[in-house]
Amino acid sequence: MDELTRQMHRREFLRLAGALGASAGIGAFLAACGASGSSSAPAASQAAPTTAASAGPAASAAATPGPTGTFNWLTWGDHWYQAEMDKIAADIGIKANITSFSDNIDAYTKIQQVGGQVDLVSGDALWVPHYYQSQLIDPFDINSLKVSSQLFSIARSFEIWTSPAGYLGYPNGWAPIQITYDPAHVTSGADSWQLLLDPKYKKRVVVEDQPVEIMAYMGKAAGVKDPYNMTDDEIAKAKALLIQLKPNILRLAPQATDTVAALKNGEAWIATINLGADTSVMDQGGPKLTTFTPKEGSIGWMDAEMQVHGGANENLLMPFLEVHEQAEYVAANFMLNRRPLFSEAAYKLLINQGQQELADHLLFNKPETVLTMTLKGPGTSTQKVIAAFNDVFGA
Amino acid sequence: MTAETLDGAASAPLAGVPNSLVRRLGRALPALPGLAVLLFLFLVPMAIMFVFSFWRTNNDFRLVPDWNLDNYARFFLEGTYLRTFLKTLVMGSLVTLATLLIGIPFAYFLVRYTNRWVQRAILLAVIVPFWTSYLVRVYAWQAILGEHGALNQFLMGIGLINQPSTLFNYDDPGVFVVLTYIYFPFAVLALYAALEKFDFTQLNAAQDLGARPDQAFRHILLPQIRAGIITACIFVFIPILGEFLTPTLVGGAQSSLIANLVVNYLRQAQFAEGGALAIIIAAFVTVVMIVFRKSLRVEDVVTSG
Repeated sequence: MDELTRQMHRREFLRLAGALGASAGIGAFLAACGASGSSSAPAASQAAPTTAASAGPAASAAATPGPTGTFNWLTWGDHWYQAEMDKIAADIGIKANITSFSDNIDAYTKIQQVGGQVDLVSGDALWVPHYYQSQLIDPFDINSLKVSSQLFSIARSFEIWTSPAGYLGYPNGWAPIQITYDPAHVTSGADSWQLLLDPKYKKRVVVEDQPVEIMAYMGKAAGVKDPYNMTDDEIAKAKALLIQLKPNILRLAPQATDTVAALKNGEAWIATINLGADTSVMDQGGPKLTTFTPKEGSIGWMDAEMQVHGGANENLLMPFLEVHEQAEYVAANFMLNRRPLFSEAAYKLLINQGQQELADHLLFNKPETVLTMTLKGPGTSTQKVIAAFNDVFGA
Repeated sequence: MTAETLDGAASAPLAGVPNSLVRRLGRALPALPGLAVLLFLFLVPMAIMFVFSFWRTNNDFRLVPDWNLDNYARFFLEGTYLRTFLKTLVMGSLVTLATLLIGIPFAYFLVRYTNRWVQRAILLAVIVPFWTSYLVRVYAWQAILGEHGALNQFLMGIGLINQPSTLFNYDDPGVFVVLTYIYFPFAVLALYAALEKFDFTQLNAAQDLGARPDQAFRHILLPQIRAGIITACIFVFIPILGEFLTPTLVGGAQSSLIANLVVNYLRQAQFAEGGALAIIIAAFVTVVMIVFRKSLRVEDVVTSG
C-alpha cells in the first residue's frame, strides 16, 4: 500500500480521503448491522469484519483513475456482497449488473447463447478451460493486476488455468466436498465414503440434490479415478453404491441451507457438505459436528472470474477486479460465506483480526489442498450418469 | 334462431357492412394478444422442443441434429421411467380422489347451509393461500411434517406416540398430504361453481318420491355437478403430472415423480433427452384432456354456464 500511496497525486489523495470517510461509515454500518451481505449469501447472519470497509480497497481504487460504467456479471451469490458493490461503485464508478446462476452448466449454456452480452462470468475448475476451448473467454495477464500479488503463489500458476495467451481466470475460492456427522449418533473415527452406505443410518443422510456430483463421489468411493468421465463399467460400480446409499438418504437437499437445517434440527446425522457448512450448523445452535475428507479422495471446486470473449465492457473488468479482489473485501467475504479463498493477504488480515482458528479450520492456509481433489468439470459421461441416477431414484 | 333475433341482427349497427377482411381483422383485434401469447409462448416452444427431442446433446452441451428415436425409446425400454410414470398417475389419481372426497361435502355444506356472507368469507379463506408463494407453502409443511415438526409434537403432546413418527417424514405419504393441500382450493372452486347452480329442492323431491338420501345424491346431484367434478379433476390431476417441487421438498429420496426424472436431464442441459420425456407427458395430458372433454356432454357445458 505504501508504494501505491507514493504514486498518488494530490487529486487522487483527496479522492482516497473521501473514500476513507465513506469506508468508515460503511464499516460502522457493517459492524452494527452484522449481515449486510446479499440475501443470497449463505451465512448472511455473520457480521462482515470492519476491515471490509477499511482503507485498503478504497486506496487501491483511487490510485489509478480509470473508466467508469456498468458491466454485466454472471456469478454465484457468494462472490459479492451488496455493501462491497455499493462502495466500489462510489469509489471508482464501476457498477456491476449481476445475474445469479445455480450451476456451471447453467452459466455455460447461457454464455453459449448470449456470449458478449455478459462481460464477466464465474466458473469452476475444469469448466474454465472448457470455456476457453469453446472460445467463450479471453485469457489475460494475471500479473498485470497489482492485486494478484496478494494471491497465494499457487493460485497464479494452476496448470489447468494456464494457456499460451495468458491466465484463464482470476482465482476466487475453493472447497472440497466433505462428510460431516454428529458424533452423538455416529460411530466416531469414520474416514471413508463408506460411512454414507452403512445400513445403520437409514434415512439419516442428507446429500445435495446434484445427480452428477453424487454419482461422482460414488465413483470416488468405488475407486474411479476420473468420476466426471466414467466408463460404462465405472458407472455401473458407482450405481451399485448409489443403490446402497438410497435407503439411507433422508432427502436430496435442494440447497446447502436445507442440509444445514437438517443437521441443525437433528433429522440428519450425516451429510455431504461443502467445506464450512459444519460451522454454519454450529453457529446456528446445532450439534457439534465432526467433519472429514474421505480417504478415497474427494471431489471439489475452485472457481475463477473469467473475461467473456467479446464483452462490450471489457475495459471495466480489470479496474473492477483490482478493487474487488483486495484483501479487505476478500476477508469480509470469507466471514460471510465461510469457505477458503485464494488471497494470502486476506488470510493474513484474518489472522490480524483474530480469526486464524476459523480460517485454519476452513483450510484457508492450505490452498495446495486443491491439488489433491478431483476437480469439478464438464464430463463426457454426464448423460449416462443421469440415466443411472434416474434408474436408482425413479420408482 | 327466432325471427325476432333475425330482426335484431338486421338492425344491428354493423348490419349491411360488407364482410370485408378489415372488418374481420377488426373483430379479431382484441384476441390478438392472447393468440400471440398462445403462439409464441406455448405452441412455438412446444414445436421447438418436439424437434429437439429427436436430436442429441453432444459433450459440449449443444443440441446436434442427429435424428434418432433413442430419447423416446428410453422411456419405454428402461423400466424406471414407466414405473415412475405409473407411480405419478397413481399419486395424481389418489390426490384427485382425495380433493373430491373432501371438496364435495365442503362445497355442498358451503352452498346449502351458509348464507352469502359466510360463503364469501370461507371462499376467501380457501383462496388466501394463493397469496403466498407455492415454495413458501411447501416449505411450511416441512415444519409440520418433519421429525421434530408440529404434527409429531402434537401427537407426542397428547400421548398418542412416544417418539417422533417418520410416517410423513420425507416419503410418499408426505407428498400425498402436501399435494392434496396445494390442489384442494382448485377442486373446491370448481365444485362450488357447479353446486351454486344446483336446485336443492330436487333432492327433497327425489326423497319425497321414495329415493334414499344416497340415491338422491348419486342420481340427482352427481349428474348435475358432473361438469364441476370433471373440471376439478382437470385442475388437480393434470398439474400433478408435472409436479417436481413438492416431491423434491417433502418427498425425500424415495418419492420421485416422473417430472423429477425429467428435471434431472434438463438441469444438466440434456435438452433432447429431457425434452422427449416431457413430450411424452404432454402427449398423455392431451389424451387425458380429450377423454375428459368427450365425457362432458353439451348440456353439461350449458349447465355449468
